[in-house]
Amino acid sequence: MLYFEEALRVLMANKIRTLLTITGLIIGVGAVIAIQVLGSGMSGAVEGLLGGLADNSFFVQPNVQQGDFQKAAMHEKDLADLRIHVANVSDVAPLSFVRQLAHVGHGHSPAVLFAASAERYATTPFAFGGNFTPDQVAARATVCILSYKTYQKLFPDNSDPLGKSLHVANRRYVITGVMAAPRTGVLNANFGGDVAIPYTVYERDWLQGRILFGAAIYVIDQSQMAQTEVAVINELRNLHRNVKGIQYITFDKKTFNQLVGAVFGVLTMIVGLIGAVSLLVAGIGIMNIMLVSVTERTREIGIRKAIGARKGQILAQFFVEALLLCGIGCGIGLALGLAIGYGVNAFAIVKLTGSITALPWLRATLIAVTFATIVTLAFGTYPAYRASNLDPIEALRYE
Amino acid sequence: MNNLTRAIDVRDVTKVYRNGAMEVPALRGVSFVIERGEYVAIMGPSGSGKSTLMNIIGCLDRLTEGSYRLDGTDVSALDDNQLAEIRLKKLGFVFQGFNLLARTDAVKNVALPLFYAGLSARERNSIAGARLADVGLGDRGHHKPQELSGGQQQRVAIARALVNNPAVLLADEPTGNLDSTTSEEIMRLFGDLNAGGRTIIMVTHDEEVASHAKRIIRLRDGLIVSDERSAVAAGTSPR
Ligand SMILES: Nc1ncnc2c1ncn2[C@@H]1O[C@H](COP(=O)(O)OP(=O)(O)O)[C@@H](O)[C@H]1O
Ligand SMILES: [Mg+2]
Repeated sequence: MLYFEEALRVLMANKIRTLLTITGLIIGVGAVIAIQVLGSGMSGAVEGLLGGLADNSFFVQPNVQQGDFQKAAMHEKDLADLRIHVANVSDVAPLSFVRQLAHVGHGHSPAVLFAASAERYATTPFAFGGNFTPDQVAARATVCILSYKTYQKLFPDNSDPLGKSLHVANRRYVITGVMAAPRTGVLNANFGGDVAIPYTVYERDWLQGRILFGAAIYVIDQSQMAQTEVAVINELRNLHRNVKGIQYITFDKKTFNQLVGAVFGVLTMIVGLIGAVSLLVAGIGIMNIMLVSVTERTREIGIRKAIGARKGQILAQFFVEALLLCGIGCGIGLALGLAIGYGVNAFAIVKLTGSITALPWLRATLIAVTFATIVTLAFGTYPAYRASNLDPIEALRYE
Repeated sequence: MNNLTRAIDVRDVTKVYRNGAMEVPALRGVSFVIERGEYVAIMGPSGSGKSTLMNIIGCLDRLTEGSYRLDGTDVSALDDNQLAEIRLKKLGFVFQGFNLLARTDAVKNVALPLFYAGLSARERNSIAGARLADVGLGDRGHHKPQELSGGQQQRVAIARALVNNPAVLLADEPTGNLDSTTSEEIMRLFGDLNAGGRTIIMVTHDEEVASHAKRIIRLRDGLIVSDERSAVAAGTSPR
């Protein structure tokens, strides 16, 4: 198409000007894409972070912001008290981890041991065996559940691990379960170490009066979660009433989701604002450069009209030029935005959370291109209209 | 003589330019008829209204009063797009300053009216190439205007003016920017075109150039002071 060919020639004749004009578009389109990618990346991140965590649990911890949080530290006896005295609590497991070398036969692997109850601490299914029974927990059975990663390291031949012995220091635990492979995110690991052992056994073998990070509380009725959290905090404050002004905080999936949602809301707003302002600036830039172009080319427009170009044909010429600018800007903006989005997704979200989120590339592209086109048409109309309405004689006389 | 055969029929045409409160009467009642195939020179001192008249005939400007029929069509009743259509199909314009698109080669300049007429790229290129060959520039198709001499540029402009096969060729001081030898070449080209049946109206204030035409209309202060056929041409006049 001749309009396109001519527009390309005009834009190529003023490369620097063209580039400066589309900078705003590039940033705007990039920002719009970033919003989309951030949006689904964040929801993917939340899902990845907490998806493996059981829905019927929450954490309770001393508020580390308070001055003397050492005194607020929780002990096994606090946990025992919570199990008995707080309504709706089905079980309580200490939050505590120890790093040890685990052996099976001749194989060994560093492993993080942690305490678990008979409640499921994760939603991940089992590859072998199953969860601890309440009896095993109560009877301090020396059993353990391996993470899939640890299983693979210790059983490279994929053999059946059930009933085999796991040696840690001078202790021996019988393997009664292996979790299926979880999503491999950096952050996911926090919700389960490599080797789970009943908290009764863990307290005896590894805790030895050590301070707990906090506790995982399992509730019977999930709809009463909030009330139970308050009750747990009150009970803990009551237990530590000799320490003045003591504070505990609880933490569940729902509140975390809300927190992330709030952070993401602010982020979206900022990026959205940047995108909107960029597109507006881009629009004004396009209008400005087109007005300059129309003025510079007044004589050319006069010639075209004199030889018989209709208004619509002059209008089309300048519209094509604006749209070509838009196209180049969109192209670069898209390439940049998608590259950044892909990078953030692959290197941050997937690595961090192990969740592979399907990012809405097509939707993001469509939205960005639509916005950019609307802005271009909105701001390109006036200059193009002005060009098409020039008086041919005056335009021809222009110098 | 049938009115429909008349290329140009101008009756009591006036043109008043308004600059704010000031009114400049450029044409003060001009009437004439130009039959098909005529070759007319419009002469007159500077400011006498020659360009104004040409712009009205060329449908670039509107008359203030009077009537103008081009090839049988009442032009004063048409809107901007219809005027553009007339300029495209029925008129070819040649300017003193050539008015070619810079950065655009000769073929593309000549092909531009064909694009506005909706022809395909293939048709445009073949027709434009042929018209360039007609004016003796068949081998210069891919030269840009600045790579051509003044005379060559004017010939490209003439090829462009003729590319849609218009009824009338209009030229406002076509030799004004050219030396006398080159002017002669252009005049020979005009002579050939007229011999081939093309209606030509040309503004000039050069008597030598005007002598090539078969009829000379002289203007002064927006009025026709004389309208005569040259002795040589009288015998071959269509009348
Ligand atoms: N756009 C215009 N506005 C006001 N006056 C004009 C305009 N164009 C031409 N004129 C005046 O009209 C008269 C005729 O001008 P023009 O047709 O250009 O004369 P010529 O071509 O014979 O030199 C002159 O007095 C000129 O100053
Ligand atoms: Mg003049």
